[in-house]
Amino acid sequence: MSTYLTLALRYLNGRKLRTSLTTLAIVFGVLLIFGMNTVMPAFIGAFQANALAMAGQVDATITSKSGEAFPESVAETVAAVAGVRVVSGTLERGIGLPADFFDQDPATADRLTAVTLVGAVPDTIRSIASFNVLQGRFLEAGDGAVAVITESLADEAGLQLGDTLSLPTPIGLTDLTIVGLLPQRLLPGNEEVLVTLSEAQRLFNVPGQINVVDANFDTANEAARAQIEADIAAAVGGSFTIGVLQPGAEILTNIGTAQRIFTLLGALGLLMGGFIIFNTFRTIVAERRHDIGMLRAIGASRGTITGLILIEGLIQGVVGTAAGLVLGYGMGWLALAAVSQIGRQLLNIQVGAPVVTPGLVVLSVTVGVGVTLLAGLLPARAASRVTPLEALRPSIGALAWRRIAGLSFWAGVVLLAGAAAALVTGNAGLLALGSFLFIGGLILIAPALVNPIAGLFSRVLALAFARDGTAQLAEGNLSRQPTRAAVTSATTMIALAILVMAAGLITSLAITFTEMLENSLSSDYLLVPPTVAVWGVNTGASPTLAEDLRAVDGVDVVSSLRFAGTQINDVAVGLLGIEPQAYTQTSGLAFVEGDPETAFREIESGRGLIINGVLQASAGVKMGDDVTLLTPTGTVTYKVVGIASDYLNAKTTTGYLSQANIAADFGRAEDVFYQINLKPGADRAAVEAAFKQALQPYPQFKLVSGQEYVDQNRGIFDAAFAGIYAMVIFLAIPSLIAMINTLAIGVIERTREIGMLRAVGAARSQVQTVILAEALILAAIGTAFGLLTGLYLGYMATSAFAALGFPVTYAFPGQAMVVAVAVGLLFGAFAAIIPARQAARLDIIQALRYE
Amino acid sequence: MGGEQNWDIKPAQVYTTLGRLEEAGLVAEEPVEAPAGPDKRVYTITAPGRASLNEWLGTGVEREHSRDEFFIKLMLALLTGQPSPQRLIQTQRAALYRDLHAVTAQRNVADPKRELAKILLLDKAGMHLEADLRWLDMVEARLDEVRRQPLPEPEARPRGRPRKSAEMIGS
Amino acid sequence: MSLIQTENLAKVYGTGDTAVTALSQVNLKVDAGEFVAVMGPSGCGKSTLMHLLGGLDRPTQGRVMIDGHDLGDLPDQALTALRRRKIGFIFQFFNLIPVLNATENAALPLLLDGRPKAEAHRQAQAWLAKVGLGDRQHHRPDQLSGGQQQRVAIARALVAEPALVLCDEPTGNLDSRSSDEIAGVLRQAANEWGRAVVMVTHDPRIAAYADRIVFLKDGLVTDETVLDPQKSGNSALIETRMKAMA
Ligand SMILES: Nc1ncnc2c1ncn2[C@@H]1O[C@H](COP(=O)(O)OP(=O)(O)OP(=O)(O)O)[C@@H](O)[C@H]1O
Ligand SMILES: [Mg+2]
Repeated sequence: MSTYLTLALRYLNGRKLRTSLTTLAIVFGVLLIFGMNTVMPAFIGAFQANALAMAGQVDATITSKSGEAFPESVAETVAAVAGVRVVSGTLERGIGLPADFFDQDPATADRLTAVTLVGAVPDTIRSIASFNVLQGRFLEAGDGAVAVITESLADEAGLQLGDTLSLPTPIGLTDLTIVGLLPQRLLPGNEEVLVTLSEAQRLFNVPGQINVVDANFDTANEAARAQIEADIAAAVGGSFTIGVLQPGAEILTNIGTAQRIFTLLGALGLLMGGFIIFNTFRTIVAERRHDIGMLRAIGASRGTITGLILIEGLIQGVVGTAAGLVLGYGMGWLALAAVSQIGRQLLNIQVGAPVVTPGLVVLSVTVGVGVTLLAGLLPARAASRVTPLEALRPSIGALAWRRIAGLSFWAGVVLLAGAAAALVTGNAGLLALGSFLFIGGLILIAPALVNPIAGLFSRVLALAFARDGTAQLAEGNLSRQPTRAAVTSATTMIALAILVMAAGLITSLAITFTEMLENSLSSDYLLVPPTVAVWGVNTGASPTLAEDLRAVDGVDVVSSLRFAGTQINDVAVGLLGIEPQAYTQTSGLAFVEGDPETAFREIESGRGLIINGVLQASAGVKMGDDVTLLTPTGTVTYKVVGIASDYLNAKTTTGYLSQANIAADFGRAEDVFYQINLKPGADRAAVEAAFKQALQPYPQFKLVSGQEYVDQNRGIFDAAFAGIYAMVIFLAIPSLIAMINTLAIGVIERTREIGMLRAVGAARSQVQTVILAEALILAAIGTAFGLLTGLYLGYMATSAFAALGFPVTYAFPGQAMVVAVAVGLLFGAFAAIIPARQAARLDIIQALRYE
Repeated sequence: MGGEQNWDIKPAQVYTTLGRLEEAGLVAEEPVEAPAGPDKRVYTITAPGRASLNEWLGTGVEREHSRDEFFIKLMLALLTGQPSPQRLIQTQRAALYRDLHAVTAQRNVADPKRELAKILLLDKAGMHLEADLRWLDMVEARLDEVRRQPLPEPEARPRGRPRKSAEMIGS
Repeated sequence: MSLIQTENLAKVYGTGDTAVTALSQVNLKVDAGEFVAVMGPSGCGKSTLMHLLGGLDRPTQGRVMIDGHDLGDLPDQALTALRRRKIGFIFQFFNLIPVLNATENAALPLLLDGRPKAEAHRQAQAWLAKVGLGDRQHHRPDQLSGGQQQRVAIARALVAEPALVLCDEPTGNLDSRSSDEIAGVLRQAANEWGRAVVMVTHDPRIAAYADRIVFLKDGLVTDETVLDPQKSGNSALIETRMKAMA
C-alpha cells in the first residue's frame, strides 16, 4: 500500500502544475456545493429563529397549519383529550420592528429586528412552563397594558422595571408598562414580550382568538404520548398540526428552490471537474504506457495498476475536497456578509454564520471524492488493459481510444435526442437532466466532428499562416488524435457554454423582472412594512389607517394588501387580500394565463383566486381548478381564475383574493402594505405632511415615493444580479482554467514530437506557429460548440424557470456571444503560447528524451 | 613487461638476425669486451638503422585477407554443392563461437595488472573472431538474397570457358 | 525436467493475407544454471520467443512449460504471480520507473508481492551492490548512465530470486565495455547464482558469454551450438590461433 502511495505521490509531484490545475477543478466544484449549502440554511435559520424558546418545556404545541389564529375553544378541545394534564392557549405574533427602532442610530446595525408578543393567561402558562422572575412580578389576571420582558430586551431597549415599552401594533403604537423581568433567553430567537391574552387580542384586533395551544401530558411513556398526540390530532381536526408556528413558511419553499439551483451549479462545476480529471488521467495513462507495461511484465496485476491510478485520483480528490470545504466555508461566510445588508433591508432578518451540518460535509466529501474516483475509473481501467508488451512495443496504445470514440458517437446521438425530448416536456427536473444529457452528448459526438471542423478551420488559418504550411501540419496533428482534440475543445465548449447560458438567463431574468417592477410599484406613494414579501411576520394596521389616508386632501386611491397564511396541497401559501378596483389603479399583476378583467371580476363576485407561477408550479394547480384552502377552522374551496404575479411576490407562493373573502374566511382585516395615488395637481408637500401625521401611531410603516422605491428596488435587484454574475465568474474561472489546462497538456504531451520536428530542422518560429495554429483550431471548434450549447442551455434554463413558476421571456444574449468568441480565441491562444514557447525553447535532446 | 612466455626466442635465432642486420649496415658491433657471461656481444643501432626503424614504425601494417582456408572450402561447396554452403557456414560459425567463448573466458580470468599483453592479444583475437562471425552472417545473408532472386535459366556455355561465380551460385 | 521446455511452439500474428508467422515449431529446453543466447537476423522472431517464454503473450500453437507449469493453463492472475516470483525481465528500453530511485526500482517485484518495504529495500540494496551499484542506490534513473540503468534492471530482475531471467537485447544501446560488464553479470547469475538466463542479442561478443547459442531464422531454430568452456583441447586451439595471428 505504502508503495502505491509513494509512487502516486512521486508521479503527482513530477507534474506539479498539472496536478494543481486538476485539483483546482475539484476544489471549485466542492466549494460551490458546500459553500452554497451552508449559506441557505443560514437564511432558513434566520426565519425559523422565531420559534418559541418555550418549546423545550412543553410536550406538544398545536397550531393551525395555515399559521392563522383560531377560537379559544380549541384549547378546551385539547384539554378534554384523555392524558392531557394542562393546556395553555396563547396568541403569539412576531412584531417586525422598523429599522433603528430602539437605538435611533442608523450607523450601528440593529441587533433587534423583531420581538414576539406572547399573550397568555397568567395562571395556565405558569402551570405549563416555569418563569423565573428576576425583578418585579409576573403577569396577573386582569392586567391591562403591562408586560413582562427579558432582561436582555430591557438592556437593548434601555429600559428598566416600571418604564414604558412602546411597540408598533395594528391598532397603532402601544405603550406597555414593564412590571417584571425574566432572565435572558438561552435559545436563539426573538425576544419575547409577555402580556395577558386579552391584552394581546386587543392589540392584534382578534377578540376571542388564539394561535398556539401548548399542552403537557400526564405520562412520560413514549407509546402513551404518541397515542395522546394522535388523539389530540383527531380531536382538533385536519387543519391543525402538532408543531411550532413558522412564520414565513411560504418563502422557505423559494429558498429551497434557490438552494437547488445553486446545488445544480455546483454539480455542473463538479461535472467540469470530473471531466478535467478524466482528461488528465487519460493523458497520464497514455504518457505512462511504458511504465505500466513494464510493471505488468514484472508482475503487477491488473488490479494493482487500476489501484495505482485510482490512488492518484484519490489523493487529488481528497486534497481538492478538503480545500473545497475550507474555501467553501469562507465563501459562504463572505456571501452571507455581503447579503446580510440586503437581507436586513428587504426581509428584515438577521442572517447568522454559515451552517455546517455533518450530513452536508459527508455529502460534499462523497461527491467530491466520488466524482474524482469515477472520472479516474475509466482511464484506470484502460491502464489495467495495457499489456506488458506495450513496454516493449511503443505504438499499440493509441488504438484503444479510437475504438471507444467510434462507439461513443452513437451514445452521444442518443443523449442529444434525450436532451431534445427533455426540452419538449417543460418539466423543471427533466430540463436540468436534459442539460447534462446535452453536454454529455456533445462531448461524445465531438471526436467524430473534429476532422471535418478542423479541416474547415485549418483552411481559414491557412490563409493567415500561408507562408510555411504550418496550418496543414496542425490540422494533420488534430486529425490523427481526434479524441484528444475533442476532449480539449469540449472543455472550451463547456466553459463558454456556461458563460453564454448564464448571460442568456440573466439577461432574460433582468428584462422580465424590470418590467414587472415598473408595473407593480408604479403608484405615487407606498407604505412599506419592515419585511416585504414575508408578510406574515409584519405587524399591519387596522382599517382605520386606510380611512385616515383616504381622508387626506389630494389622495385619489388607496389600495392595501391584507395577508393570511394558508396551505394548498400541503404547500405553504401567502394569501393577499386586494380590492381589485383600487389595486389595478395603483399596481398591477402580470398575467400569464387568464384575462385580467374577468379574473378581477371573479375574485370579487365569488370565491375566485388568482395564483402566481411559483404557486402553480409547486402546488401543481392549473387555471380553472378548484383548490382547497386551509382556514384557521377548516377548509374552503376557491376556483383558480388567473395565473399572474406582481414584482414583490413573484418569488413566494402567493394567491390573490378579495379583501371581503380574506375577512370572511381567514378573519383578517389588517393592512400590511399600502399603495397610494394622488389626484392630478395635488400638493405633494401638504399630502406628505398629512401622511406623516396619520402614520404617527404606526412606526412600522415607512412612507416612500413610488419612484424612490422603484429605484431602491432596482438597486437591490442590481446587487443581487451582481452576486449572480460573481457566481457565474466563479463557475467560469475553473472552466477557463480547465481549458488552458487541457490545451497546455495537449502541448506538453507532444513535447517529444516537437523535439523531433526541431531535430529535422523546423525553426523555433515554425514550431510555435504549428502549436498556435493547433490551439486556435481547437479553441475555434470549442467556441463554436460552446456558443451553440450556451444558447441551448440558456433557453433550457429560462424554460426551467418558467416550469418553476417564473415565466421569463427569453432574451438573446448578443453581447455575451461576442465576448465568448473573444474569450474563447484569446484564451485558446494564451493557453498555447506559454507551452509553445517552452517547447520551442527546449533543448532538442531534452525534448527527445522527454518521457 | 609481462607475458614473457610469448616472447621466448632462442639465442641462435637472435644472432642470425643480428648478423643479417649488420650485413645490411643497420647495426654495428661494439668493440667492447663484455666482462660477464660467455658469447656475449653488444650491437648498436646505426644512423641508417634508426632511419629504417622509424620508417617501419611509422607505416601501417597491411594484412593478408585473401588467403583463407575456409574461403576455399566455401568456394568448393558453392561449386559442387557438397556439403551445402549453409551447412558449411553453420559448422564454421559453431567453431568460431567456440573459439570466441574460450577467448572471452580466458580474457575474463586474466589479471589485467600482470598479463596485459595477453589480454590485449586475446582482445585482438576476439575482435578478429567477431569480424569473421559478422562476415559469415553477411555471407549467409548474401546467399539468401541471391537464392531468392528468380534467376534466368543459365545459357548453354561454350566449352573451355571458365565459369563465372555468380552463375555457379545461381545453379 | 528442464526449467523451460517448449513444445512445437508457434506464433502467427494477424490472419488471412496479412498473417505473419513469427515462430514455428520451436522446441527448446533450458536448465537451471544455464546461460543461453538467442541470435538471428532482425525479424526472425527472437522477441516473440521471449514474450512467449515470459508469458507476456500467448502462443498460437504449442506449449511453454516453466518449472512444470503449462503457461497456457494459467489465468491472467496466476500468470502475473508467476512472472512476479519465477521470472525476471530485462528489456532494451523503458526498464525503470522514472520517478523511483535505484533502490525503489530494484525492490519493485518484492513490493508488488506484498513484502514489507524495509526488507524489500534491504534486499534490493544487496543486489545493487552485487551488480556494482552500491554507491548509486538513491539516484533516480535520469541520474544514471545507460549501463547503470541496465544494471539496476538486472538487480530488479534478480531480486525476487527468480528461476528464470529473460533479457531482450539488454546491451542493445551500450558501448562494448558496458556490454561486457552486463554480460559478465548475467554470466554470474547463471554460473554462481544458478539462474537460467535466456538472452537475445545481435552482438557475437555478448553471445560468446553464453553456454549455448540458439540460432533462429524466419521463425525456425536453424542451429544450436554448445560453447563448452571445459572441453579439452580448446585452450590448445586458442594457442594455435593466437600464434597464427601474432
Ligand atoms: N504485433 C505484431 N503484429 C504483427 N506482426 C508482428 C507483431 N509483432 C511482431 N511481428 C512480426 O513477427 C516477426 C518477428 O518479430 P520479432 O519482434 O520477434 O523479431 P525480432 O527477432 O525480435 O527482431 P529484432 O531483432 O529486429 O528485434 C516480424 O516479422 C514482425 O514483423
Ligand atoms: Mg526484437
